[in-house]
Amino acid sequence: MQKLTEAEYRTVVDFIYRECQLADEGRWDEWEELLADDMHYWVPVNPEDADPDRDVSIINDNRSRLATRLRQLRTGTRHSQAPRSAMRRMVSNLIVERLDQQMFRVEGNFVVYEFQNQSTGTLNVWPGRVRYHLRQVGDSFEIALKRVELVMAGAPIPTLAFII
Amino acid sequence: MPGHTAEKIQTLVESGRIHSSLYTDPEFFAGEMSEIFEKAWVFVAHESELKENGSFLRRTVGLQPVIVTRARTGIHVLVNRCSHRGNLVCAPERGVKRAFSCPYHGWVFAQNGDLVDVPFPEGCKDLDRNASGLKTAKVASYRGFVFATFNESPPSLEDYLGEARQALDRAADLSPSGEIELGRTWVRHLFRANWKMLSENEADGYHVTFVHDSFAKAINRQGKYDSILQDSEDKVEAVCRYLGGGHTELDYERTYSEPMTWLGVKPDRYPDYVSAMNETYGQDQAFEIMRRGPPHTFIFPNLFLAETCLVMIQPTSVGETVNWHTPLYLKDVPEALNRRILRQGEVALGPSAFLTADDAVIAERQWRATGGSPGWLDISRGQHREEVNPAGVVESHYSDEASNRGFWEHYRSLFAT
Repeated sequence: MQKLTEAEYRTVVDFIYRECQLADEGRWDEWEELLADDMHYWVPVNPEDADPDRDVSIINDNRSRLATRLRQLRTGTRHSQAPRSAMRRMVSNLIVERLDQQMFRVEGNFVVYEFQNQSTGTLNVWPGRVRYHLRQVGDSFEIALKRVELVMAGAPIPTLAFII
Repeated sequence: MPGHTAEKIQTLVESGRIHSSLYTDPEFFAGEMSEIFEKAWVFVAHESELKENGSFLRRTVGLQPVIVTRARTGIHVLVNRCSHRGNLVCAPERGVKRAFSCPYHGWVFAQNGDLVDVPFPEGCKDLDRNASGLKTAKVASYRGFVFATFNESPPSLEDYLGEARQALDRAADLSPSGEIELGRTWVRHLFRANWKMLSENEADGYHVTFVHDSFAKAINRQGKYDSILQDSEDKVEAVCRYLGGGHTELDYERTYSEPMTWLGVKPDRYPDYVSAMNETYGQDQAFEIMRRGPPHTFIFPNLFLAETCLVMIQPTSVGETVNWHTPLYLKDVPEALNRRILRQGEVALGPSAFLTADDAVIAERQWRATGGSPGWLDISRGQHREEVNPAGVVESHYSDEASNRGFWEHYRSLFAT
């Protein structure tokens, strides 16, 4: 494994923090600009042993389906996000590795505090581990994979219609 | 259940209206658990989930935790509660076991619930072992769909299913070997709303245009949804039905002229599938099966055949319900066809899906809105135009509430004194 420079690490982490902020704030146009054409956005139900082509997932979007998801959010009548959940997330314990000349792999823990204000008025807490594959494009990145491993993935979970 | 609960329910269901307290009052929920979930045939599993001898699954029948097991003698449903001190006997969700040993004091039960061993037997020599097995439910299955009941003298499963039996045939016949084959994962979506809001919504065609407006806009009305997401009432060709016994359905068959439209693909997309179907059923019948597509049918009280998915409704309290779903894979079809079934289901069902995420929020709002100020709710739409066929099936316009009325009429009959 090739060692990262301090500057590289810093650029990657800044990118992740920005991605989280855009998702939290429902800035879907800006968030979509971060995505690669081959993006896989995946929330498995059995993260320890999951096959996305055989096991049903909570979310299993290719780029085109993710575009539909974002279009649906923008309609204003996506009831499960109208109004949009108020939320903030923390991401930490980040481990950044270089997979090849272009690609970085980032793993970290996160927790999202989501106020489900459109129906139940409950504060949902979504802890988990996230994995990104980031492809270097110029001096920034595009997201080729966002895989979200929820702590309670296999348990009954409330509606998750926002971008996690 | 106290007699006055049943009496109250009789006054709260009328032919075109129901009282909102039926969704929100814990007294009625308790009555439903004893009169419906203990007495009806409740769906618990599909045989394909229990392939080998010793396979087991944890499920629930109403509020009772159960273990569904496959023994050499067949499928058994055991209450997951030790007959000694009431501890949960089996903790894992699924697996393979020859026997279940209670972790509290080591009592051991066979796959059929019989008590087979008690540690330190000297102290238990007066124990009637034959009467100390795990409580069991009666079990019956149809086309591999396994149902259980605690009713001492239930009707036969076939009689119970009645006209809804055809929906299970319709689902299984889509396979050239006539069998469904479920995978190993289910997604469980928590609705903070009453279970009947889910059950009724499965065959409510009226809400589709409104609750799923954002989906219609996001996909630009392509494919199969084109025919139902209409602005104008007379353009809708799909129908709703009340099948009797609390079972309801929506039927899209009339909107499909070619095979496979229900899956959003061209008829010749899976040629190996078409030839296997032709071989099994003959060309004409195979064409019809592939054209009609899967059922969209709710089987009272907890099973929903949601076209490409199987849904199991689990009530957990008066205001909380877990909606389970898994793809309805077909046995002996090309892998690509089952993958398409998986993808189609991911669009429709689950906490993040394009459809049920919105249904959940609507049900949660409905439950909260009705909680504060109970009152009468209207379910009279289409009463003047519904038609009854010779089999007793009520059919009406897709957007009519004939299905809801049937559901409630059956519900009331279960509490008749």
